[in-house]
Amino acid sequence: MTEEIFQQFRDWIDNRHEYAKEWKERTNKKIIGYLCTYVPEEILYAADMLPVRILGSHEPPTVTEPYIFAMFCHLCRDCLAQGLKGRFNYIDGIVEGQSCLHLRQTFNAWRLHIPTNFAHYIHIPHGIQNPHAIPYLAQELAKFKKTLEDWTGKKITNEGLDKGIKIMNKNRELMRKVHEYRKLDNPKITGIEAMEMVLSSQMVDKQEHSKLLNKLLEELPNRNLNRNPGTRLMIIGSEDDDRVFMKNVEALGATFVIEEHCTGSRYLWDDVVPSEDRLMAIASRYVNRVPCPSKDWPEFTRIQHAVKLAKDFNVQGALVIQNKFCDPHGIEIPPLREALKQVGVQTYPLEFDVTVPWGQFRTRVEAFLETLTGLEELF
Amino acid sequence: MSEKSKEFWRWREYRHTMPNMDWHDAKMVTAGVDIGSVGSKAAVMLDGELYTYAAMRTGGVSEETAVKAMNWAIEETGLKTEDIHYVVGTGYGRVNVPFAKRTITEIACHARGAHYIYGPTVRTVLDIGGQDCKAIRCDEKGKVMSFLMNDKCAAGTGRGLEVFADLIRTPIEELGKTSLSVQDEPQPVSNTCVIFAKAESVALLRQGWPKEKVSAAYHLAMVNRIIDLLTKVGIEKDFVVTGGVAKNTGIVSRLERNLKLKPLEPKLDPILAGAIGSALFAKALYEKEIGLR
Repeated sequence: MTEEIFQQFRDWIDNRHEYAKEWKERTNKKIIGYLCTYVPEEILYAADMLPVRILGSHEPPTVTEPYIFAMFCHLCRDCLAQGLKGRFNYIDGIVEGQSCLHLRQTFNAWRLHIPTNFAHYIHIPHGIQNPHAIPYLAQELAKFKKTLEDWTGKKITNEGLDKGIKIMNKNRELMRKVHEYRKLDNPKITGIEAMEMVLSSQMVDKQEHSKLLNKLLEELPNRNLNRNPGTRLMIIGSEDDDRVFMKNVEALGATFVIEEHCTGSRYLWDDVVPSEDRLMAIASRYVNRVPCPSKDWPEFTRIQHAVKLAKDFNVQGALVIQNKFCDPHGIEIPPLREALKQVGVQTYPLEFDVTVPWGQFRTRVEAFLETLTGLEELF
Repeated sequence: MSEKSKEFWRWREYRHTMPNMDWHDAKMVTAGVDIGSVGSKAAVMLDGELYTYAAMRTGGVSEETAVKAMNWAIEETGLKTEDIHYVVGTGYGRVNVPFAKRTITEIACHARGAHYIYGPTVRTVLDIGGQDCKAIRCDEKGKVMSFLMNDKCAAGTGRGLEVFADLIRTPIEELGKTSLSVQDEPQPVSNTCVIFAKAESVALLRQGWPKEKVSAAYHLAMVNRIIDLLTKVGIEKDFVVTGGVAKNTGIVSRLERNLKLKPLEPKLDPILAGAIGSALFAKALYEKEIGLR
């Protein structure tokens, strides 16, 4: 049964477009594509819509050159390529929450060049450490809510917002519970499985996803992976949905026991704390969540979070990945590596692109694993 | 071979067996095979001491090269592959060594091999191979503490030098010396890409620069790129250079000049560091296998 659940996560990812088209036909409801996890999906669920994250396909981009600067990160180009190739032709609209210039360009190019009925840009504040950030964002969310209401002609009620908050909180809570099994000496799920769980949650109806998570949580206590976990690794960095890389690294004798990025734990770490003012409650969650480095200043708060994760999940080494040209994440790498070194966690940096040169990366990762645990007894 | 068709990039392939050593006297015969992207090396050790070795060009099929390199190394010794107790494969083609019991990365093997060649004071190893360059920090046992590799392009590596040797029609073994014959060091050429560096060198030759001066510009570009990598990993004394490019005086003397740090002199050919390191790992693994560890 457990294997079937993980297979379902994989199938959802591999057939995401078919799933969405079928969902739309079945429910006769709208689907909204979003680019960054700063988009509050709670409000989209409140509006009875399905939010789906737009991600790339890891094929060399061939169509984005006229619309986006080549020295912008591969994620923003790869996402736009999906739109230009018509792979998201079923979405009714696109929403972006301000995170970085690169994804903003994707949003703008999409809005201008890909037929879309609805496009909205949420001005998520950059100064999240500013005391005015929460009320400011609550106002932005009110604008977003009104724009959706005007477009659909349907009010988003407090009951609807409560429902949206509940759906999102439940899904995050269940995935956090699954993460507890990654803390074990012999984790009950691998890093690639965890990645596929989180990725699929960004692609399908959260209620359906949560049902499966409930089943998974019933099964996991009895699961035995029958594999040596090897070195306990952490992966830290920008958006990362490179499943081939994860699988290949784990085949070298390691397990990713935790990750700190927005297709992993960063997506599910914080809940909305319900309060009377629903938009303020949602705004608080998005201002106070584990931040993307594009907003994490003047203090680097995410670094302390990463250090805590490394300790809680008993990490032996961390791969620090940077998507090529992702400056916000690049800025944090030196202090991040230093902070992890201070708590005895060695790190190794890797630069990711649309595809990764596995031959070279394999040597680096293997050598990193050798320095951590692999060859001690041979000296 | 006519001057026109001469392959200036071709470096000398060779083998050597240490005199006054007999494998029949050894308790443990171990070997390392380092299948690099450009050169392949095989080393056989008797109880942890270098006995016989060979260095040759990597062919199109790594498995065949591994067999050829090993057969050449043990040629005329009477030793057969099956007499070797344990073989470790390393280098890019490490998974293609058919008779290896285990693979270990060239990073770990170069550090350990450098420890053997240069002694226990080594703390920073610069391995300049055929298509990549590694800066490695190690401890007094030759164990890797940290490392970095160059990204993506072969600029700053042996293959880049081979391309350049052909361009200026100078045998690769003389390339370094040629580059040192200029009075004043010129500005370096581009160092982001082998092809860009070559294109820029062609332009300089067309401007009438003597080939020695262009060679100096090319070597300096390589050295700048290597120093960038070394600086990132941090340099601690003693510093050594391994890999085929360690034999290029134009690179090594510029490293010394610009780093203000003299690399140690090798007592063996530094191209063998990876093969020697893997043979030493093979010894440790064999000891483990027979219960000595």
